[in-house]
Amino acid sequence: MSHLSYVEGAKVEVEADYVVVGSGAGGSAAAVTLARGGERVAIVEAGPWRDPEDYPYSAYGGMRDMMDDWNSLVTMGRATWPIVQARLVGGTTVVNSAIAVRTPGDVFETWREKFGVGGPAMADAVWRAQDRIERELFVSRASDAALGGSNRLALLADQRLGLEGHRMDRYIKDCVGSGQCLQGCRDKRKQSTNLNYIPEVMQRGGTVVSCAPVEKIVVERGRAEAVVGRFVHPVTRKKGAAFEVRAKKGVFIAASVTKTPILLAASGIKPKALGTRFMAHPGSGIFGFYDEIVDTNVGATQGWASVKHRLDHGIKLETLSIPLELAASRFPGGGRPLMERLREYRHCAMWIQACWAETQGKIVRGPGGKPIVRYSLEKRDLERFRVGMRLVAEMHFAAGAKAIYTGIHGFPWKIGPDDLHLIDQAPLEARNYIAVLSHLFGGAVMGNDPKTSVTDERGRVHDVPNLVVADASVMPSNIGVNPQHTIMGLATHFAELALGG
Amino acid sequence: MIALIRSAMLDFYPSTEHLPGLDRVDLDGFLERYKREAPALLWSGLVAAAIAYNLSPIVTIKKPLPATRLSPEDRARHVDLVGSTENYQLRQLMFLLKMVAGMAWGQSPEVRQAMGLSPYPEDPGTWRQA
Repeated sequence: MSHLSYVEGAKVEVEADYVVVGSGAGGSAAAVTLARGGERVAIVEAGPWRDPEDYPYSAYGGMRDMMDDWNSLVTMGRATWPIVQARLVGGTTVVNSAIAVRTPGDVFETWREKFGVGGPAMADAVWRAQDRIERELFVSRASDAALGGSNRLALLADQRLGLEGHRMDRYIKDCVGSGQCLQGCRDKRKQSTNLNYIPEVMQRGGTVVSCAPVEKIVVERGRAEAVVGRFVHPVTRKKGAAFEVRAKKGVFIAASVTKTPILLAASGIKPKALGTRFMAHPGSGIFGFYDEIVDTNVGATQGWASVKHRLDHGIKLETLSIPLELAASRFPGGGRPLMERLREYRHCAMWIQACWAETQGKIVRGPGGKPIVRYSLEKRDLERFRVGMRLVAEMHFAAGAKAIYTGIHGFPWKIGPDDLHLIDQAPLEARNYIAVLSHLFGGAVMGNDPKTSVTDERGRVHDVPNLVVADASVMPSNIGVNPQHTIMGLATHFAELALGG
Repeated sequence: MIALIRSAMLDFYPSTEHLPGLDRVDLDGFLERYKREAPALLWSGLVAAAIAYNLSPIVTIKKPLPATRLSPEDRARHVDLVGSTENYQLRQLMFLLKMVAGMAWGQSPEVRQAMGLSPYPEDPGTWRQA
């Protein structure tokens, strides 16, 4: 087994049967499937390999050490909303809340009806893969010991409002509720792929090349032959040696929704559909303030969810804890009023709504090859978004909150239960809301028509059959649930097909 | 430029009788580190935010003076209002300024102790090199 990281000097050359670009949910699932099939795999990851003892504690360290460009990517449109993506071995699986949601059946039906891909055969293959992944990565529901105050209050609200919610299913073994999901789980309970699938690939003779952002896929005579780039130092960002990783059989790209289309374009693969159909779950949080100490930063970062309103309102409800450093910028005002508000941090819980938005954006190559995400939430989605805000607000009051902070521009610092109608009347203007895009889809979508898609239903790029896209870029629609499990299931399915399964 | 950024950040997170503010934190050290470690784009954004903060009292309290020349009372009103101005770009810049300052403030051992939170150990900043 071997791991190559940042070096200077002479060009580094590696050869494998398959090269996998990206080591997050999609890349690692594809890589381990190929390795188990007897193939020699090289995983090429833009970021460094950080083990749990390397993980940061603070939000500052999290942004510096884990996130892509310090999380500086934002939507370019009516509002500038951050787009959350990690950059390290294990990808976003290291910094998310490890939520495992099986792909709903309606997703495959939609893909079949609208794009000519998917249907029962793909559903069976993805669900079969998800069965196995759930066993291997210890998917389990948040235990009592791991809940913490915020999730307990959400369960109470659920009981009182009949939200049909549940404790979150997560890729976690014996969670101790350290509240450190977003900075990486130092207790090694969260099953991010840097702890399991990637080491397994190495044990099976594979290679991991880290600190190695791929600049181009070399395509000759309609075949992907290699990936090339230069090592980048994770602290100084200094460029190091050039690298070339040759693929005897094929290349899988799982560089993320924002990076995969850019990499394809940089490699001369520019179908008309490239970069289109970008979709997301814009999410926004509401703080509830309680008499008792909640200590939102203790317990599972996201331990409760409800999908009761997924189909009628397009909304998923979840808990989400954020550390004091980030709450400091979310609370309004400045000076003494802000400091007085921050005294209440330990009495607050933040819960969020994730909106199943139909709005489509576009990913284009910007200066320096960085992605630009053009995205402006449309009115019908803003209506859903606002309904989601109302639902979260109702939850807090049902759980006993004395007041809530919505973050909606123009609203007072706190509103009470008699003011809920204000949310219904909030302007349908994206700029009035503080939101984050955390679940991304599209940009290199699959379909049966090469004029409107980038890959076929096996993830193979049209006209380059040994080049497979294995991340959420291929998803032609917004699936309305947390995507990691679907990404892993699809990537596994595509790898099995490449193996001849 | 660090002096201008420091001045704006101190306005946002002042010490009170209940909580230590950014004046109790090695803010210069934090900013030097942020300038060295963060992407140039983010540092540029922070500089722009500090300039915008200093020039925007005309927007918030209708006074044609830079924030550094305001009386303490006017400055307190300015800092409380500038993050909720109708100008979206100004609001976003203030969000960035507050976020970076908030990271310096919220990770301070003294602040965390005052809040009853456990202190953070030092971020290792390490990675697997071979």
